[in-house]
Amino acid sequence: MAGKSRGDSRKPRVKGGKTAAPAKAIKVGVIDYKDVATLRKFISERGKIRARRITGVSVQEQRLIARAVKNAREMALLPYAGSGR
Amino acid sequence: MTHKYELMVILDPEIDERTVAPSLDKFLGVIRTAGGTIDNVDIWGRRRLAYEINKKSEGIYAVVNLTSTAEAAKELDRQLSLSEAVLRTKVLRAEEAVARAAAAAAEQPANGR
Repeated sequence: MAGKSRGDSRKPRVKGGKTAAPAKAIKVGVIDYKDVATLRKFISERGKIRARRITGVSVQEQRLIARAVKNAREMALLPYAGSGR
Repeated sequence: MTHKYELMVILDPEIDERTVAPSLDKFLGVIRTAGGTIDNVDIWGRRRLAYEINKKSEGIYAVVNLTSTAEAAKELDRQLSLSEAVLRTKVLRAEEAVARAAAAAAEQPANGR
């Protein structure tokens, strides 16, 4: 029941966990696949979706972002990832 | 049982932009005859595609918000995809998006910014 037990059950982090904190989390409002300008902040130059450790958004937000990016790709609003830039 | 849907279509850039609204309306007749309503039609106009679709690098985008039964929405999507003038379609349920927008709007004043 102690608050500690939950975190410890996972894979233990070596040496106090070196999660490089992202510079600052990008502030996100409502995520919409039509809002290309906002989604561009979450993809790399190659069109790949940026990892959460880089963008610093919450798990829930990252999931919404990923879905929005994929929807936008289907509608040719954003490019698919690829070497061709 | 009706739902709110958001439909996005990419139309062939070779068709005249003035004919977009009427031809779109013809497709939307399916919804009206099934008892649904068209809430909003937003024609974005010509827009560059992120990648080529059917050898075309441009498309005419249109977004339609509608309320209808699932069957009518499915039929609309089917008929659109049969048309040669339609490059691509996407139908999404709009409820969650609307709820999220409302939640964000409610949260904003609570934070005091």
